Amino acid sequence: MKRIIHALRTRARNARSDGDRDVGVDRPASAAEALKDEGDTDAIRSDGGVAAETDPTGEYERRRLQRWRDSDFVQSAPFWLPPFLLMGFFVYAAIGWNFLISLTEYSGFGDVDYSTIGLHNYVELVGDAGFWAATRNTLVLLVAFTLACLVLGLSLAILLDRKIRFERTFRTIYLLPFALSFIVTAQFWMWMYNFDFGIVNGLFGLVGLGPYSWLGSPRLVLGSVIFALMWQFSGYTMVVYLAALRAIPGDQYEAARVDGANTLKLYWRVIIPQLKPATVSASVVLVLFALKAFDFLYAIWGFRPRRGADILATKMVREAFQRQEWAYGASIAIVLFIISLAIIAPYLYQQYTQGNL
Amino acid sequence: MTQQSLEDARPSRRQVLRLTGALGVAGLAGCTGDGGNGGNGNGGNGNGGNGNGDDSGWSETLEVMHGWTGGDGADAVDALITAFEEEYPDMDTSFRAIGGGGNVELDASVASRLRDGVPPSAFAGWPGKNLDQYEGVLGDMEAEVWEEAGLFDAHVEEVAELCQFDGGMAAVPIGSHRMNDVFYNVEVVEAAGVDPDSIDSFDALLDALAAIESETDAQPYANSLAPWTVLQLWAQVMLGGQGFDAYMNFIEGNGDRSAVQESFERVEELLDNYLNDDAPEIGFTEANQRIMAGDAGFIHQGNWAAGAYVAEGLEFGTDWDRIQFPGTENMYGFHVDSFIYPSDNPSPDETHAFLRFAGSETAQIEFNRLKGSIPTRDVDTSDFSPYLTETIEDFQDAEHRPPAIAHGLAVNQSLQADLSDVLADTFLDPYDVEAATDGFMDTL
Repeated sequence: MKRIIHALRTRARNARSDGDRDVGVDRPASAAEALKDEGDTDAIRSDGGVAAETDPTGEYERRRLQRWRDSDFVQSAPFWLPPFLLMGFFVYAAIGWNFLISLTEYSGFGDVDYSTIGLHNYVELVGDAGFWAATRNTLVLLVAFTLACLVLGLSLAILLDRKIRFERTFRTIYLLPFALSFIVTAQFWMWMYNFDFGIVNGLFGLVGLGPYSWLGSPRLVLGSVIFALMWQFSGYTMVVYLAALRAIPGDQYEAARVDGANTLKLYWRVIIPQLKPATVSASVVLVLFALKAFDFLYAIWGFRPRRGADILATKMVREAFQRQEWAYGASIAIVLFIISLAIIAPYLYQQYTQGNL
Repeated sequence: MTQQSLEDARPSRRQVLRLTGALGVAGLAGCTGDGGNGGNGNGGNGNGGNGNGDDSGWSETLEVMHGWTGGDGADAVDALITAFEEEYPDMDTSFRAIGGGGNVELDASVASRLRDGVPPSAFAGWPGKNLDQYEGVLGDMEAEVWEEAGLFDAHVEEVAELCQFDGGMAAVPIGSHRMNDVFYNVEVVEAAGVDPDSIDSFDALLDALAAIESETDAQPYANSLAPWTVLQLWAQVMLGGQGFDAYMNFIEGNGDRSAVQESFERVEELLDNYLNDDAPEIGFTEANQRIMAGDAGFIHQGNWAAGAYVAEGLEFGTDWDRIQFPGTENMYGFHVDSFIYPSDNPSPDETHAFLRFAGSETAQIEFNRLKGSIPTRDVDTSDFSPYLTETIEDFQDAEHRPPAIAHGLAVNQSLQADLSDVLADTFLDPYDVEAATDGFMDTL
């Protein structure tokens, strides 16, 4: 892209009749090219010499405009400006507006009244026991679900990486749940967890345990939801890890063997440390899925999940769309946004330090 | 424009571009519009294509949003629409069914339309305190509908009170479900040796449940443990055990703590001993299927439960039957479905005509005989099933018609959600009577 811009610029410069001593406020990337350009302009200037006789202020204005038009910033604008504006408007402006609404007392069907701006919604949140329960559940869900998916996905990937038979078939089987929507998996698991005829209680019954009320008991329900989500998403982690494992050259395994490492040590000391980038990117995606567990809960219980399974996302939707407490719902949304940001931030920082941003 | 590009076999590229551009601009306008006066925009493109409606006097399209997407509800609203279109053949109508989640989707769509300043002509919803949430966006059509069609005289007094809002009339009832029936599977109850007609108190009901438990394999009492079903049950226990006045005092905010607590204790006794174990996971529909299948004995819920029995082809009296919730024999548990009238109406004349029709005998018979609900006015009962005829008679004769607490009449949307939250957080298994009582007393 830079090259195209540069070519455009050179052409524009060559078309110009007047000489311009310092075009290169911000020079193009390559020093060699820059030198060549300098040469060109010099040549034109030494030919001409008419330029000096024109009106000095008009000349100055024109040169400034020219320089502005030639700058990287303006020349590259067609490439980044439209997405910048679209993203800015539809994403960041919307977030900003949401924050603004969370400071008001907007509820019901009136217009938003921006005159009473304050943090009262956030103060109310601090005193709302339901909010704390939902926050706790959200964090537990985030941490437990992400860790479980990573561990399970890694184990599956390592097993599949050992050149077993029907490897592709297994890969497809494990990845399949990932292709299903939350609505479908929620229905599956509702049946499987059913107290009376669910297969889960059937299996526990075989070893003389239970029956347990998986989705009914406030103590068990969050764990049941996490397990169902893990079933759905560990296939995704597996694929990410499998790709990373394939990228590790075979001689490293051999070298470790030659140095006398057993299998456990081999993976623990040599292979797994190299999977860090895969782990980081998989966790970010998993965390975002965990925040979106709303669909799953909504498919089972509607607006009000069972006690012990209420998360911030369900509470936010309930406050906003059931009670029309828009401002209060907006403040929950901001809290959720900050939590996700706090989780994404280390990833972004890591990418930044590695020069990927 | 859409029509034009559809008629062309192959729209030219320019046409496609123009269409895309127009859609884009429309989309942007929708996003950025401040909702100030967008409501009038849809009048312009409404009728052009249809050719009729020139000399019929109806110039706008009637748009009604409702939530009856399936089963008896869909049949009922289809019958209503057919009858309406026979009476007003020249009017352009658009009846939009938005289903899902027990009116949750409908309410959300209506809410966003109202918020954006583009209300429909009318929408289905509960009257009573439920109208509170629509403060500022409801219109008054007392003169054009209620007085002109003589609805005040035709309908019972309570329903007129419920449809009143801000000193005017903002809704027209279309039908009512009874909220104080207890339904049972005749076979199961007979197998347990219980005589349902002898159940005249809450304790007698518990005895009957105990008999089913000991004498049969069936579940004594089936239901969902969703907050709204328990809120409804609690209200009937309160009405039956503490009386009409105690209930009305409670919903008006002067509740007696011991009455509330005693009701909770009774609900716990019933649910803790006789409810199906998977109640937290299943919905009401599924629970009701167990009554039909003979896997459970009793169920309590609004009489849409009976609609399912009729749809399944089960016979009233031989397959299923009902008793009044013990202690509420002189009452009719009141629930009302209505059409609500937004202000800034896109089609005032058409909407008035529709609402006058909705309150009429024809409409109420057509709709209710299929919906399994009853008219809130005096009607000829010959078109109704024996069960509904009985219900209509009870409705006319009832001493009290207590407004339903879990269905919008007695408390507003926000309080109803608060009460549900209290139940979900403190009472729904494990049952904490003390905390639930505190929560209810604090809420109201």
